[in-house]
Amino acid sequence: MADLRTTGPRATSARTPPHPVDWQTFEEWQSHPHAELPAPPDGRQRARWTRVLALGLGGFALWFLLFAPTLQHDAQVSPVGTRRTVSLDITGPVAALSRGLQLSRIVSVTGRTNRLPGGTVGLTVSGPTSQDPPAGAARPTRAKHGAAGRTRPTSPANPKKPTPAQPLRVLIVGDSIGLDVGGPLQSDLAGTGVVNAALDARESTGLTRPDYFDWPVELTSDLAQVHPQVVVIMIGGNDAQDFLGPPDVPFSSPEWNTLYAQRVAQFMQNAHSGGAAVIWVGMPPMQNPTLNAQMQDINAVVQQQAAAVKPPVTYLSTDKMLGTPQGGYTAFVTTAAGQVVNVRSPDGIHLTTGGGQVVAQQVIDQLRAMGYRI
Amino acid sequence: MLFPTIDFAIFFAVAFTVNWLLNPYAGWWKLSMIGLSYVFYGWVGWSYCLLLLATTAVAFVGGSTVAALQAERARRVAMGVTVGVLLGILGWFKYYGFVSVNLDNVSHALGFGRVVPLLQVALPIAISFFTFMAISYVVDIYRRELEPAKPLDFAVYISFFPHLLAGPIVRGGELLPQIRRRRDPETIDYSRAFWLILAGLFKKVVISSYVSSAIVQPVFTSPSQHSALEAIFAAWGYAVQIYCDFSGYTDIAIGLALLLGFRFPQNFDAPYTARNLQDFWRRWHMTLSRWLRDYLYIPLGGNGGGDMQTVRNIMITMVLGGLWHGAAWTFVAWGALQGIGQSFGHLRRASRVRRGLPAVAEGPARDWVQRVLTFQFVCLGWVFFNASSMSQAFGVLDRVVTGWNESSPLVTPLLVLVVLGTIALQYVPPDAVARLQVAFSRQRAAVQVGLVGFALLGVTTFGPVGVAPFIYYRF
Repeated sequence: MADLRTTGPRATSARTPPHPVDWQTFEEWQSHPHAELPAPPDGRQRARWTRVLALGLGGFALWFLLFAPTLQHDAQVSPVGTRRTVSLDITGPVAALSRGLQLSRIVSVTGRTNRLPGGTVGLTVSGPTSQDPPAGAARPTRAKHGAAGRTRPTSPANPKKPTPAQPLRVLIVGDSIGLDVGGPLQSDLAGTGVVNAALDARESTGLTRPDYFDWPVELTSDLAQVHPQVVVIMIGGNDAQDFLGPPDVPFSSPEWNTLYAQRVAQFMQNAHSGGAAVIWVGMPPMQNPTLNAQMQDINAVVQQQAAAVKPPVTYLSTDKMLGTPQGGYTAFVTTAAGQVVNVRSPDGIHLTTGGGQVVAQQVIDQLRAMGYRI
Repeated sequence: MLFPTIDFAIFFAVAFTVNWLLNPYAGWWKLSMIGLSYVFYGWVGWSYCLLLLATTAVAFVGGSTVAALQAERARRVAMGVTVGVLLGILGWFKYYGFVSVNLDNVSHALGFGRVVPLLQVALPIAISFFTFMAISYVVDIYRRELEPAKPLDFAVYISFFPHLLAGPIVRGGELLPQIRRRRDPETIDYSRAFWLILAGLFKKVVISSYVSSAIVQPVFTSPSQHSALEAIFAAWGYAVQIYCDFSGYTDIAIGLALLLGFRFPQNFDAPYTARNLQDFWRRWHMTLSRWLRDYLYIPLGGNGGGDMQTVRNIMITMVLGGLWHGAAWTFVAWGALQGIGQSFGHLRRASRVRRGLPAVAEGPARDWVQRVLTFQFVCLGWVFFNASSMSQAFGVLDRVVTGWNESSPLVTPLLVLVVLGTIALQYVPPDAVARLQVAFSRQRAAVQVGLVGFALLGVTTFGPVGVAPFIYYRF
């Protein structure tokens, strides 16, 4: 690298041969024929910028043509708004061309169209199963991923008095905030030695957009695999958006509230369908005032439906658990032991591990208050 | 703005065109590049652009003041004040929450009340990177290794979008001359640039994402539920994940800069082939390593004193290097581990030299033993680096010791292939890659378009929906 103190015009012109990037003025730059430059020693051919631009745009266009059906699908499942509309307008015709030319088959061969949202792990199960030997089962068995057995497990004589041999089966479902709580909750429940805890949490999901991720279908599948006696739900963080039409139903309109209440009630009844007790954990206060108000609207609908469905669902508010005494947003809470814990991620939305542990402990306390001896 | 997005692809097509169209007009080029870089940085939130602007202003005024002063003491004071202000800004945004919580807990334990208010300060993306670049600029001027830059040149230097979010940490002496000159629009090294960008995308979008969701995330979320083999593969997997994530970002950044006519310094050189920790730090995040060496380790005295002084300097440098990555005890532990490992290596080498032996024992078998041991030690550090708490880190390590004789369904043949294959690829000689680039550059345009298009298709087809941000964005 040249010393800065030698980079004036005089210093540059004294060099032989001149480096191609050393010209100081436009005229000097124009006066140097590029053909006289020595060939680069690495053997790679160089190109003018316009050719590089054409190559890049050409490669991008080819990719766009091949990948357009998937991009169109991604646009369809994105939040309603101008960006979605524009994306669909652009990808639609190209996707049609791609399908017409049979190019979309190249992608479908790989199974790309069946992919799951990023960061998804799937259903994981931790803790003792009903087949476990009763003695010495204090430490839970390891997690099993993707399946929890095909046969219906033995139900304990009394699910409120689980044992290592006949553990309480708990299913935890949620969005990304549900995952923040679900991880510590699954671990803590499994750590009791008498709970078999299954977790299925999916980022960027909710109940408003089944075209993106269909939670009712997923819950039915989870129930069939886990046969839970308790279902813990924490969903709603991504639900402050319009229902997809036509016609689209704007968020927080009376029609939206009615539709959302129906979906929440149906989801609660699905969770109940196998006789499980259901706990719905509300969304915490949010740092952004607009998002906070939206979450309060969603919590209100959920709380209303929790009381209305038969049998009622236990609604666990996180407002004061993770917020100020007035239920407002705070990043720090003080535990019963007087320890200050940072409970919120810097985005003002998600929870830290400490925050997840605070909620997990409250859920466990709630289960104990409901009579489960865990 | 994230690199692996369509938003960025459109942005870069515009930036590339503007860059070369305005290349002959230096003033307009600089203004346009500053504007584009601020659009890039402010894409997710405009408020942080003010912070970038403030850091630029502080460093520029500080650097100019240092250069204008004659008396050595005055120069030192001006440099110290400027570096202090820059570190103060960084400390406020990055460390206030961490320090206040820990102070509060100590105060509570001692029976006192709250000593400082508890605030969660949002961490602006990339603040550590552009602050370090700003500090190096001021210190280099103080050391008379650099002339002060013109305002627009300096604003481009700090904000230039290819390096802005996660490095490489480019020094003024490397980038400012390139900003002053005009770049040659006829000789773009596009085959190397395309290779770096596509390989970087593949590493980040496909390999890093896969390893993260297949083993790292499940094991670190609930370590107690996993076997020893899974815990070991989670640690190895994180080594692969963070390498592919960060070196993938750096490859893309260097490739983009190359397309714009700029050369950035190398940031990775097959780090998992290192034979000891000193060697590792010469291959991993090389621009941070040399920054710590030149602006922290050497000013502390380096290895110029006795062994104990050297060990002290190594420990201070590595612990502060750990804290640079984030305000958490896990990063302190990671830095301390690196310091202990490097100190041990230093003492061992010094002992061998005193006994008249070569500093490092050589021989093919020894080389491999050292490489394997170094990799395992690095992975031990990664466990702390990735854990969200010390208890989580010890939970993973506990499983390595106690989790034997348990099934390991997460350790699939594909995972083993990807993890071990990615590590093995670091032993591929650079010549092989260079030959591929030469071959690509000599193809016809239609073939090149086809290769680029299908390479992009491979990345997007095998990658997940919604790629997570780069790990180093949060540092």
